[in-house]
Amino acid sequence: MRRIMAVLLAAVMLACLAPAALAEEDVTITVVAWDIATTPYYQMYKEAFEAANPGLKVEYIDLAAQDYSQKVGTMLAGGDKSDVLFIKELSDATNWSAQGYIAPLDDYIAADGLDMGAFAGMADCYVDLEGNQVALPYRADYWVLFYNKDLFDAAGVDYPTNDMTWDQYAELAKQMTSGTEGVDKVYGSHYHTWRSDVVNWAVCDGVNTLADGEYGDLAYFYNLALDLEDAGAVMAYPDLKASGLHYRGAFAAGNVAMLPMGYWEMGNLVSDTNSGDMSFNYGFVAVPHKEDVPAGSTFGSPTGASINTASENKDAAWKFLSYIAGEEGAKTLAPTGNRPAFINDAVAEVMALVDGFPTDEASKAALIPTAVYLEWPIGEKVTELKTMTDEEHTLIMTRELTVEEGIAEMNERAAEILAD
Amino acid sequence: MLNATGLGGNANRRYRAGKLEKRNTLIAYTFLAPNFIGFFIFTLIPVAFSIALAFLNWNGGALNTITFAGLENFATLLKRFNFTRNELGVTLKNTAFFTLFTVPLSIACALLLALALNRAVCGAKVFRTIFFFPYIASLVAVCVCWSFMLMKLGPVNQMLELVGISVGKSWTQSREYAIWALIIVSVWRNAGYYMVMYLAGLQGVPAELYEAATVDGANGWHKFWKVTFPMLTPTTFFVSIMMTIYCFKIFDVVQIMTEGGPGRSTKMLVNYIYQLAFIDIKYGQASAVAMALFAIVLIITLAQFRIEKKWVNYM
Repeated sequence: MRRIMAVLLAAVMLACLAPAALAEEDVTITVVAWDIATTPYYQMYKEAFEAANPGLKVEYIDLAAQDYSQKVGTMLAGGDKSDVLFIKELSDATNWSAQGYIAPLDDYIAADGLDMGAFAGMADCYVDLEGNQVALPYRADYWVLFYNKDLFDAAGVDYPTNDMTWDQYAELAKQMTSGTEGVDKVYGSHYHTWRSDVVNWAVCDGVNTLADGEYGDLAYFYNLALDLEDAGAVMAYPDLKASGLHYRGAFAAGNVAMLPMGYWEMGNLVSDTNSGDMSFNYGFVAVPHKEDVPAGSTFGSPTGASINTASENKDAAWKFLSYIAGEEGAKTLAPTGNRPAFINDAVAEVMALVDGFPTDEASKAALIPTAVYLEWPIGEKVTELKTMTDEEHTLIMTRELTVEEGIAEMNERAAEILAD
Repeated sequence: MLNATGLGGNANRRYRAGKLEKRNTLIAYTFLAPNFIGFFIFTLIPVAFSIALAFLNWNGGALNTITFAGLENFATLLKRFNFTRNELGVTLKNTAFFTLFTVPLSIACALLLALALNRAVCGAKVFRTIFFFPYIASLVAVCVCWSFMLMKLGPVNQMLELVGISVGKSWTQSREYAIWALIIVSVWRNAGYYMVMYLAGLQGVPAELYEAATVDGANGWHKFWKVTFPMLTPTTFFVSIMMTIYCFKIFDVVQIMTEGGPGRSTKMLVNYIYQLAFIDIKYGQASAVAMALFAIVLIITLAQFRIEKKWVNYM
């Protein structure tokens, strides 16, 4: 009896091993990323990729988001052989490339003929100091101008367009402003208290950055915002700051005609529309531009991935990376409400199919920006400069300093920070 | 009654007492252990580590990326030190200003409340509870409520308008008034708590002192300055030390009400430490500022003890 059992057990074990042995040619791509359990699109990527590429398997390694960069840096220093590495901080790509941890992708890109133009500039921040493309973005949030269609209809004013200058926008905001506070007040536009919402537009010309230590280019946008405040066309900054009103609540209240905001707000608007919480129709267009800047220029920040130099399956890794960063991956990501970095008409088509997405053509067209510039470039002093500009921003917006004084102080403090 | 153990009884008892003492000590340590182990792991080690960090370079990476910095962190902080531009100077100035006004104002309010409620006023117990309430109320709720009250068209500005003072802006959004908003909230919050201490102090003033003063023909004013106040100096001493420490480590009220703004007008030392450690990820420099803060508080407290003998009256 015991002998029979032993033979049976052995048979069962062999039977279990057989399929594994047969499938040995499968290549497993190890992918390092963060928050995998709580972010649905990782699983969607895996399923869609495996279905399209039989013989390739994707296996994720989940790291904590908080100290992701340091952890991956340590893993790579220890000779880790994972294949694909997701990149959380922009500066990681250049740092890891400098240390030889991540591989240049230019040959692969050329061989596959990947359309780099579809990234609208969001892949440029992953070029290392030697000019090699060392990572590709798969997600990119950029800024657009949301508007309340019902308010424009009621006022009999034409909707904002994808080609508007900031002066035209200011005029439109004033035109849309009406009523008395507490009764039937309509605000033409709304600025959140962030510096990025008021003046980051200065970087949209592709020349200015917020880290160059010269802030004269912000004056135009400060004057524009303060002028709208004086005209009663936007809520006053000190009141917003003191009351802590969130931009989402301000726009959802239905008496704000326009809202320049990051594309992430789309997710909220879509879900509010679908749940019936939102009582009005909305649309969005490209953010306005200065006279000398092409329409559709905006700013944003990408999230990308790269290939480990020590990977033993580089070709398979490239297949996965080019899938998530390319058109197919973009189409997988589009229905989740996140904005893929790779955008062309076909991807925009999928994005516009989402329930609750505005149905007009202008909104769909606004999905494809002309150029997206980085909100902040990569650099050593960027955190200090961020804190400094945020502090001076509060002084200018509370009118404790005039625009000129505030900008002069920014320049002086930036000089001290950059000199250290 | 005869001692059953005979002659050896005394020594035996002593031996047993020693054993009992040892056992009791052991039991006492066992009871203390859970608390002390927690204190050791979660307080003592981190404190020691933060002292060490002040002399090291660490930006949050793996532990093997830590390098020795010597006094470099302190040198970086003191580079171009001044009170108008330098980050440490500005936060130090703000903290000192805040302390300079909050401590005396809190003491004065607490003392006044205690004097008023120490009499047999109708409903004194109810008022005591009311004045103590701010101390136990949720700090965030308190700060948010005060922010609303101090808004441009809020009740405080409207009342001031009635007596002819025009502020015309939200207190928390003005360089001039923001720090006063923090002072008001801190005084309002702490006065009730220290009022209780003063009430306890007042209970301890012997009635015969007042009787003697009355016989000597002293009026209320004299009685306060010659009897009540001297008898309360131990309480005042304690309160001033506690309030000074509270003021130097002020953080929560600032973070909720002004975030250090507008500009840097209400940025305090601890806000600066927070920024260095958790935004700039410069743990070494953050620890260096924390050490400076510790030194300042220590020096002030020692100075207070030094001059204690001159004015504090223990009867």
